[in-house]
Amino acid sequence: MVENARSINIVASILLLIGVVYIVGPLYLTLSTASQSYEFMLRNGVAWYPGNQLFANMGKVITETRIPIQMLNSLLVAFFNALATCALSFLSAYAIVYFRVRWAGLVFALILVTIMLPLDIRVITTYQVASNIFSPLNAVLDVTGLNDVIASVFGTPAHLELSVLNTHFGLIAPLVAHGTGTFLFRQFFLTLPKDLLKAARMDGAGPIRFLFDILLPLSRTSVASLFVLTFLSGWTQYLWPLVGASTPDMQTAVVGLARLVPDADGQVPDFPMIMAGAVLVSLVPLTMIALLQRYLVQGLVLSEK
Amino acid sequence: MSLESSLFSHRWLPLLLAVPLMSLIVLFFYVPVFQAFYWSFFLEQPFGGGSQFVGLQNFERVLSDPEFWMSGWRTIVFMMTASSLAVVVPLMLAVAADRKIGMSLPARNILVWPKGIAGASIGVVFAFIFNPFVGIMAPLNTMFPGLWNPGIDGTDAFITLVAAHVWSGIPFNFVILLAGLRSIPHTMYQAAAMDGAGPWRRIFDVQLPLILPQLFLTFVLEFTESITSVFALIDTITEGGPGGSTTLLVYKIYVDGFSGYDLSGASTQTVLLMIFVVLLAACQFVFLGRRINYER
Repeated sequence: MVENARSINIVASILLLIGVVYIVGPLYLTLSTASQSYEFMLRNGVAWYPGNQLFANMGKVITETRIPIQMLNSLLVAFFNALATCALSFLSAYAIVYFRVRWAGLVFALILVTIMLPLDIRVITTYQVASNIFSPLNAVLDVTGLNDVIASVFGTPAHLELSVLNTHFGLIAPLVAHGTGTFLFRQFFLTLPKDLLKAARMDGAGPIRFLFDILLPLSRTSVASLFVLTFLSGWTQYLWPLVGASTPDMQTAVVGLARLVPDADGQVPDFPMIMAGAVLVSLVPLTMIALLQRYLVQGLVLSEK
Repeated sequence: MSLESSLFSHRWLPLLLAVPLMSLIVLFFYVPVFQAFYWSFFLEQPFGGGSQFVGLQNFERVLSDPEFWMSGWRTIVFMMTASSLAVVVPLMLAVAADRKIGMSLPARNILVWPKGIAGASIGVVFAFIFNPFVGIMAPLNTMFPGLWNPGIDGTDAFITLVAAHVWSGIPFNFVILLAGLRSIPHTMYQAAAMDGAGPWRRIFDVQLPLILPQLFLTFVLEFTESITSVFALIDTITEGGPGGSTTLLVYKIYVDGFSGYDLSGASTQTVLLMIFVVLLAACQFVFLGRRINYER
């Protein structure tokens, strides 16, 4: 450092300490309350020190609620959201950057717009589309008059219906319809040297070969970063799984956790059990952050550039 | 030759590569956005009971509804307070963590933890911690009855929402701002020190101006984020109450659409909210367009 700045370092340390307490405090209170009994919580409120009931409360969550199967749903949603986002974004960014096509700019713009309007804003009509994914096709048939033709030939107009509500596909697909991944890969591809492609082509590599043998190995870190980022975002979704799944066995763990809190006022809810549920639900993503923090931080920084 | 070989020139292959993502985006983004606009001009009956063109009547109805303006106003108040705090708090932490002090490394690790915790989960936790009867404020409440009750006092409920929002917003903004700070070359500080700028002065005259791009970016992203992600917090902490004092627009749209079956009204509000968000994002592009760049 340029010179010793004791006073400012003390202030900085205190600030960081406050920040850490602000982050860890609620997590600690969650854990300590989760390890106390319901009676203890009724007598003392929030538990400031841990007890020995953690596994009993977790056991209650596992045996009495649907959280275990909902965690499986969350795992499927998060994993396939991450996988599909990585694969499809990678391919579309590849098409946009490495091919001479006139529509590349337009497609990229169309993909970028999705970043502006998150799913939570357009949830009403997204729900409507998910309740019958052929509804746009039906509308097109009606508007173009093709349905009149079909009706005159077959006696009845075509009306296709397929609902993806309450399916895993329906929970995942609207989350994948997002542009961050394409944006991230495009930015990364543009930082790679131009001669890479020239050299590969001179050696006789075609587009598929270049994609798998050169581009993919070079992009390992970006793929990992995006994977971690979209996995976490899939796991922590709330509004879409809330409306997209109607039965408890199809809901995700976060929705199930929120449903543990009874709606009606009156008796004090079993907060230790609910907190144990919160611990269980957060275990997977927190473990992931602990193990793959490097990629998470990288992904956050990359998505900004 | 050089231009020829700098890009592939297949016809159908790039199309094939882009189609999977594009079809999902068309189906689950453009169709819903279009449908929201379409429905805002029709009176939709719930359960597929047919629809009727009503021109601008839906907009007249929504815009003359005081509830809409109230929740719109609350959305803007929340956006201003929560997102400025959600940028300023991580900013102070990032400036502190950028220094070579003992706390810096553990703090950098811990401050990204909230990224893994769903808004709804932390909502459930905050609803418990700030519960007036069993939460951390309970002892104070017995000493001063009525001091803290988010179930009755709208301001208390609002504060709880803001605290939860800032909590979950720390990781992203902290990481972005810290990355900005770390990319400032060391020679800048040395030059400033040579010119006689003390450590405090260097924060305000070197660090802050040089991370203006990141600062603007976090601000504008945070604006959209605070409008939408607050849904999970409202649904788990206040459910829009007490007395509608925390019913923000995104929550009102959900209630009108899914509980009130007012599809036209909900779509009309969706359209208005989308226009608002796009205008905000347009400001972002204006800012990023002339990205404040300093020679480094």
